Amino acid sequence: MFRQRTLDKVLNDYLYDVLKCVRCGFCNSVCPTSNISLSYRDSRTSRGRIVLLQAKHSSVLNLSIESNAIQELMDLCFGCRRCLEVCPAGVRIPQLIWRVKSSGPLRLNKFFYTYYGTFEKLGAMIPTLSNLLVKSNFGRTLLEQILDIDRNAPFPSFYGDSLEKYIKKHSSSNGDRGRLALFIDVFTNYHDVELGIRTVNLLQRLGYRVEAPPQMEAGTLALEFGALKRAVKIARFNIDSMYEFIKNDGKVITISPAAYVALKIDYPELLGDEKSRIVAENTIDIVDILLNEYDDGRIRFKGPVENAVYHHSCFTKAARLTTSVKRLLELAGYKLTEFEECCGIAGIWGLIKKHHEASREIGNKLFTKIEHAQMPVFSQSETCRLQLKHYTNSRIMHPLEGVMDRILL
Amino acid sequence: MTNYFSKVSSKDIDYLEKLCGSNNVSTDEEDLVTNAIDAQLGGFHKPEVVVWPETSEQVVEILKYADEKKIPVYPRGGGTGLTGTVPVHRGIVVNMKKMNKIVEIDEENMQVRVQPGVVYDALNKELERYGLFFPPDPSSGAACTIGGMAASNASGLKAVKYGTTREYVLGFEAAFPRDGLQRLGTKTFKYSLGFDVVKMLIGSQGTLAIFTEINLRLRPLPESMETSAAFFSSISDATKAIYKIIRQGLDVAALEFMDKPTMGAVSEFKKIEFPNAEAMLLIETHGSKKAAYEEMERCISVVKENGGFEIWHASSKEDRERLWSARKGAYPSVLKLGRFTLISDVIIPLSRLVEAVEKAYSIGKKYGLRTSCIGHFGDGNLHVNWGTGDNGEKIESLHRANDELNRWVISIGGAVSGEHGIGTEKKSYMRLQHGESYNLMIKIKRLLDPNYILSPGIAFDLDDLLNKSG
Ligand SMILES: Cc1cc2nc3c(=O)[nH]c(=O)nc-3n(C[C@H](O)[C@H](O)[C@H](O)COP(=O)(O)OP(=O)(O)OC[C@H]3O[C@@H](n4cnc5c(N)ncnc54)[C@H](O)[C@@H]3O)c2cc1C
Ligand code: SF4
Ligand code: SF4
Repeated sequence: MFRQRTLDKVLNDYLYDVLKCVRCGFCNSVCPTSNISLSYRDSRTSRGRIVLLQAKHSSVLNLSIESNAIQELMDLCFGCRRCLEVCPAGVRIPQLIWRVKSSGPLRLNKFFYTYYGTFEKLGAMIPTLSNLLVKSNFGRTLLEQILDIDRNAPFPSFYGDSLEKYIKKHSSSNGDRGRLALFIDVFTNYHDVELGIRTVNLLQRLGYRVEAPPQMEAGTLALEFGALKRAVKIARFNIDSMYEFIKNDGKVITISPAAYVALKIDYPELLGDEKSRIVAENTIDIVDILLNEYDDGRIRFKGPVENAVYHHSCFTKAARLTTSVKRLLELAGYKLTEFEECCGIAGIWGLIKKHHEASREIGNKLFTKIEHAQMPVFSQSETCRLQLKHYTNSRIMHPLEGVMDRILL
Repeated sequence: MTNYFSKVSSKDIDYLEKLCGSNNVSTDEEDLVTNAIDAQLGGFHKPEVVVWPETSEQVVEILKYADEKKIPVYPRGGGTGLTGTVPVHRGIVVNMKKMNKIVEIDEENMQVRVQPGVVYDALNKELERYGLFFPPDPSSGAACTIGGMAASNASGLKAVKYGTTREYVLGFEAAFPRDGLQRLGTKTFKYSLGFDVVKMLIGSQGTLAIFTEINLRLRPLPESMETSAAFFSSISDATKAIYKIIRQGLDVAALEFMDKPTMGAVSEFKKIEFPNAEAMLLIETHGSKKAAYEEMERCISVVKENGGFEIWHASSKEDRERLWSARKGAYPSVLKLGRFTLISDVIIPLSRLVEAVEKAYSIGKKYGLRTSCIGHFGDGNLHVNWGTGDNGEKIESLHRANDELNRWVISIGGAVSGEHGIGTEKKSYMRLQHGESYNLMIKIKRLLDPNYILSPGIAFDLDDLLNKSG
């Protein structure tokens, strides 16, 4: 019989976070999964999860943290990090939940999501077949049976080539303005490749040399599924590679807020070393690059004044990029109406069969507001855009898509 | 008295499931545990079953049944109480989370009828569209419910102008163990028609009835507000200024006090640089643009006359938010200094405020505790935060220090709770606080809940109730 790990062992330093929670419930007020029909039960809320762990620590809870009951409740945290903004005691909620999830049983789908970078790479090698699979009834049934991906959930198509390959082929610019390493992450690399290509072209026109040093996926899913060892391995690989690049006078650039959060927040926290700190310091999002160009007088914007919705994606908030994204869009001529609600997808969480209905319920308020607004919508996160495209009829874009044609060099 | 109540049997669970639906009844460990504790620094007390009623009628039937069977019933709102209102005698937790609808907004009469599970901030967000608000503003507004607020007579940062929850509850629909569902109060702001049972139920902490609907009076959102922070080199200067502001009848909406240790904590966690001061006052005035401005001018001149050596004035909404974030960040910042923190809630005659702060410091020193004070000083409400940092072995000294302060406060004519309530934490002071008149409360309790099934162990000791001579 396999031995249960104690809470202290599973949580390590994060045990203290559990203990310092004052049970104020502020996290519940912003937590997307704590405000839906199933969350009338405190156990299915953010505070409830912490209270359960406090009870375990006090030997009051008659369930092991590995048990299905507890693991299912922990699965209701999808790592959006909205709670971190409001917790008065500074409890690192999603981070400690990953640790609890790490004690859960290993399942086939968990294995897949943990290694999704590799599987996506395989999928992109045979795009026609992969797309047939994700578009056909048979394929979706298979995905649902094996990987628990709900057959009605949105699923992105494969572009064909990867952005990484494109950059390798086209990184010919001399780059008198400096060298940039694009840290891509899976979605932009295999699905939203066009956005990536346009971004690279723009940067080259601005005089940068864009490269794609060896890299793995950002590893967000490994964290979400509690595969911490794998997450550390991914972080190590990416940090070492980006560090080598930076050493020779380069900067790291991101398009995806998930990639940005990984480099800026998660890797330094997972590795706790000097290298990751230096990489974080030298990482910049494309939005901030464009703002710097504007402030230095290198670019201007020209375009008609247009109304648009700005959707605050969870990861843009977590990355603290909101102010920059809004400023860029406003400079480019957009009059923004802001919607703060979560779309409910949270990476892959909303695609999984057991969460699919809840995901839709979380997003419903936002979908309705978007439909009513009848304006183009900007959202920085790739999976938010996937969800919004699926559930609304509006035009959904990355902020760059609305800005690029309005830039005057 | 362990055998006084009956245990919940499987027959009882069947009954509850039939009444409320099986989805709304749980004996699952995770549900028992998460309904076993509030925000007090206390332990877990697991109920035997949790029920989430959806209608007033279900609440009435639960109470009737529990009364017949002598099973304890504990109503629960947001669970943010700070006094340990937890199922100490086990039984049933009636969790009001599913009764969370705003039933009717009566804009013309500036009233709203809500179910008890509506969360404070959510209500005000909705009311904003009508230019109205429900003012008590407890710091826990993001999570506490209107039912919990009425049961605790909650109030907050702006009580000096707007008063407490009590001033806003016009009526209840409430379920009683023996008297079924009762509609209490009127839609008018005053009436002269016998006892005011509505007011009696406010602050009853779930010991007399379960509220199933609450009718609230509202206020129009102020047209304009002015906010300033003033710094003093002594606590007595600050309290003198407070006293003069109140004595001169100046119309302040908030008069908040923070001492040096609290400013230190806020400075560390909120990254706000304060001047080197012993005390800070946050002052806000509300009204028409002209009135708010002029009233603030008057306050500032009082502050200056009484030693306020530096004054910050908020000239924009962002400035105001920043000033408030310093005050609202006070308790959280103190919490970050260490996880064992106990907060007192004493309320003191205005003339004794300086003495009270000094008393708190000297008690804190005696027990070797980190001591910091914040308060809604416009009405004399002082929160002393006692902390041992992360030293769990000294928890007992937190309680001893708090006890010493509480007893002193009663001896000078103050009260041990300004807004948080009694719970399990302060019930031992009830006799000391109320003297003989405590027996009147016991008599009322016996009359309305003769089997003591409603929240036993909360506010009253079961022994006191069972002791017929009381
Ligand atoms: C960080 C923090 C800050 C706080 N700041 C303030 C503050 O500024 N001012 C203040 O006054 N308090 C404050 N509190 C205390 C607490 O939030 C209030 O007492 C609040 O009113 C409790 O509401 P609740 O819905 O959480 O009630 P609960 O904690 O669930 O219950 C409190 C009491 O109300 C009873 N109750 C709940 N619902 C009903 C009902 N429908 N019918 C009958 N009885 C019911 C319960 O049985 C219990 O006795 C704070 C708490 C925290 C954690
Ligand atoms: S990370 Fe998001 S889902 Fe998880 S508890 Fe925080 S707010 Fe809720
Ligand atoms: S916000 Fe922080 S302190 Fe409050 S309940 Fe959530 S985790 Fe605990």
